[in-house]
Amino acid sequence: MRSQRILVAMSGGVDSSVAAALLVQQGYDVVGATMKTFCYSGGEAHSKTCCGLDGITDARRVSDALGIPHYVFDVEEDFKRDVIDDFVSEYARGRTPNPCVRCNSNTKFKDLMERGRLLGCDGIASGHYVRIDHKDASAPALYRGVDTSKDQSYFLWGLPIEMLPRLHFPLGDLTKPQVREQARELGLVTADKPESQEICFVPTGDYRDLLEKRLETRHPALEPGLIVTRDGEVLGEHTGYANFTIGQRKGLGGGFGQPLYVIEIRADSREVIVGPAQECASQGVEIGEVNWLATPPPEHSPIRVQIRYRATAVPATLHSTEGRVILAFDEVQRAVTPGQSAVFYQGERVLGGGRIERALVSSNAC
Amino acid sequence: MSPIYLDHAATTPVRAEVRDGMIAILDGDFGNPSSAHSWGRRAAARLEEARERVAKAIGADRSEIYFVRGGTESDNMAILGHAEAVRRVGGTPFAAVSVIEHKAVLSAAAEVGKRGGRWSTVPVYADGTLDMDALDTALAEGASIVSVMTVNNEVGIHLPIEAVGELTRVHGAVFHTDAVQGLGKVPISVDGLPIDLLSLTGHKIYGAKGTGVLFVRRGVDIAPLIFGGAQERALRPGTEDVAGAVGMSIAVDLAVQEQESEADRIRRLRDLLQSRLEEGIAGLRVHGDVPNRAPHILNVGIPNVDPEVLLAGLDLEGIATSTGSACDSGAQTASHVLEALYGRLEGVAALRFSPGHSTTEDDVIRVAEATLRVLELTRSVEAQA
Repeated sequence: MRSQRILVAMSGGVDSSVAAALLVQQGYDVVGATMKTFCYSGGEAHSKTCCGLDGITDARRVSDALGIPHYVFDVEEDFKRDVIDDFVSEYARGRTPNPCVRCNSNTKFKDLMERGRLLGCDGIASGHYVRIDHKDASAPALYRGVDTSKDQSYFLWGLPIEMLPRLHFPLGDLTKPQVREQARELGLVTADKPESQEICFVPTGDYRDLLEKRLETRHPALEPGLIVTRDGEVLGEHTGYANFTIGQRKGLGGGFGQPLYVIEIRADSREVIVGPAQECASQGVEIGEVNWLATPPPEHSPIRVQIRYRATAVPATLHSTEGRVILAFDEVQRAVTPGQSAVFYQGERVLGGGRIERALVSSNAC
Repeated sequence: MSPIYLDHAATTPVRAEVRDGMIAILDGDFGNPSSAHSWGRRAAARLEEARERVAKAIGADRSEIYFVRGGTESDNMAILGHAEAVRRVGGTPFAAVSVIEHKAVLSAAAEVGKRGGRWSTVPVYADGTLDMDALDTALAEGASIVSVMTVNNEVGIHLPIEAVGELTRVHGAVFHTDAVQGLGKVPISVDGLPIDLLSLTGHKIYGAKGTGVLFVRRGVDIAPLIFGGAQERALRPGTEDVAGAVGMSIAVDLAVQEQESEADRIRRLRDLLQSRLEEGIAGLRVHGDVPNRAPHILNVGIPNVDPEVLLAGLDLEGIATSTGSACDSGAQTASHVLEALYGRLEGVAALRFSPGHSTTEDDVIRVAEATLRVLELTRSVEAQA
C-alpha cells in the first residue's frame, strides 16, 4: 500500500520546517508548498525582495534537505480579496481585524486543500501549535497546542468543519523550545530563524501606511476627529480613528487626572470615545460570522470564550445561537473589541468562534 | 521510473568535452593571463585559443569576441554599453526591442529609458512575424539600437534577424541579437550578416553557468559598464575566467558543428510529443506553431487547469518541464511573451517542453503519457468536487 501523501504548508520558518520533517519521519509521502500570498515590492527599494522570496528560498532549501518536493502556489489574488481588502475595510469601519484568522479561514487552508486534492494528496498539514484528535474519524476534535505560550488555536476557529478529517498538525504536542531543538538536531537552516511577529503583509508593523495606500484619499478613518468622553466632553483631537483600538491607552495624550482608555470608535462621526478603565468593561458580547468546529452546545450552556490572542478564556453563558451568538460573561471583561475573534472552548477543545460585532454593556456598568 | 529532464531551454547539463576542457585549466593552466611568467603565458594562450574557437564557429574575427559572465551580462553590455557610447558623443540613446525579448533585454532597454534615453517595443504577432513597419517607424524616430532575439525562449519563434538587421543598417542604427536560445538550434553566423552585437550563453548549450560571449563587430562602439584593468580590451575587466572561456568555446564549437543533425533529431522528438499531446488533450493549442519555428521548444496551452498544479503534478511524476521561462522563486507568473502573442490566457496552463541531447523517443512518449495521467487526475478530482 502506498503511504499517505500529505501537502504541508511551508512558510520558510522553523515551525513549518519541523512540521514537514516530522511528517517525513512518520513515514508520510510529504509534499511541501509555499503559498505566495502577497508582494511587498510596493516601492523601488523592495524590488529585490519581492514576494517573500527569502521565505520561499528557505522553504525550498529545507525541502531539499528533507528530500521532499516543494512547490510555490501563487494565491495573491485570493489573499488580496479575502484578507487584505477585509483588513482595510475593517479598520475603515473603526474595527480591529485579525487578518491571520481571515487567512486561515478563507485562503490558506482552502487553497492548500484544493491543490492537495489535485495532486493526489490525502491530507494537508501546517506548523500551527494546535492538536487534532482523529479518534472519531468523522468528527475530529481540535485542541489547544500543549505549549500554552505558543498555542495558535485562536487563529483557527474559522476552518471549515468538513476540512478537519484531512488536517494534520504535527507540532501540537511540542513546545517551541522542543521544535527548535528538533530543527537543530536535523540541521535545518531555519532552526534559529527569529519569530515573525508582524502581520505578513505589514512587515514594518505600521499598518497606517497600508491603509493610506489602499483607502481613497481623505477617507474618514484617516482624517482628524475628536477625542470625547461618554458625556460628550471634548478632550482633544486625533489624526484618524484607524490608529485606535478598543482598550488602547497610548496616543491619547495625558493630563486627564486618571488613565483613560479607548472605549468606543464611532466611525460615522469620526469620534474616539475614551473613559476610565471601568467604562471599558462589558458584561457580554455579540458575535457574528460564527463557525462551529463541534456540535454547538445548547442554549444557556456554560462555555469559555477567549476574546484576544493573548488572553485566557473566560467563563460565559451561551445565549443565542441563531446566526449570531450572544455571550454573557460571568465577570465583566475589559476591551471587548469589534473585529477581533471570539473563540469558544470547552476545556482545551476548540468548539468554534466568530467575529466580535459589539460589546454588550448594561447601564449599571458605568 | 527514472526521471526525465525536458527543460533544456531553462538550462542544460555540462557535456563531457566542456567539463574536461575546464578541468584541464582548473587543474593545470590556472595562471593569470596577465602574468609575465610561464603560467601566465600558458593561461593567456588557452584564453586566446578559446577566443579563436568561438570566432571561427560563428564566423567572426577573434578580436570581436568578448568573454563575459553569461547571457544577461552580455545583453546588458550590448544595450547599456551602446547607450553609454551614444551619450558620450552627445546623442540620445533609443533602444527599440521586440516585445517578446527575454527580460535581460527588456529590462536593459527600460533602463536606457530611465537613464534619460528612450525605448520602445516592436510587436511580434501570433503568426511569428515581426512588425517591420513598426520597426521602421521606430528607426525613423531615431532608434539608435535595435535588439531582436534570434529564437524566442518561451515559444521558439525564429525571428527574421537578417531582415531586421538590414533595415536597421539602412537607418544607420546598431543591431543586437540575443542568440542565447538560437545557437545550436538554428544556423548562426555573423559572417556577411548585418549583425553588430550578438549575445551567447554557455549554459543553454551544455556549457557552464556564468559563461558567455558578446560579439562586437569591429567599428561598433560600446562603452564598458564596469571598470578595472584592461582585460577583454577593458570592455569586461576583471581577471579572466579562463576555464569558463575554454568551456564556453568548446560548447559553442560543438553546438555549431552538431547543429544540423541535432536540430533534425530534436525536431522529430518535439513533433512526436506534440502529436501525442494533440491526440490526447482536447482543446490543446500549440503556441509558436509558425513556419519559422526553432526545433527544440514545444509550448502548449491546456485549457481548464491550474498551471502550477500541472507543473507540480508532472514533477511528482519525475518530469521536469516549465511554464514560460523559469523564474527566480519557483513561482510562476504570467508570461509577457504569451500575452503579447495571444492576449491574456485565462484558465489556460502554458507548458514548455524542451528536449535536448539526452532525450530519447521513449522519453517523450512517457512524458506525453504522464501529462495525460496528471490531467486526468486533476479533472477527476474536479469532477468529484
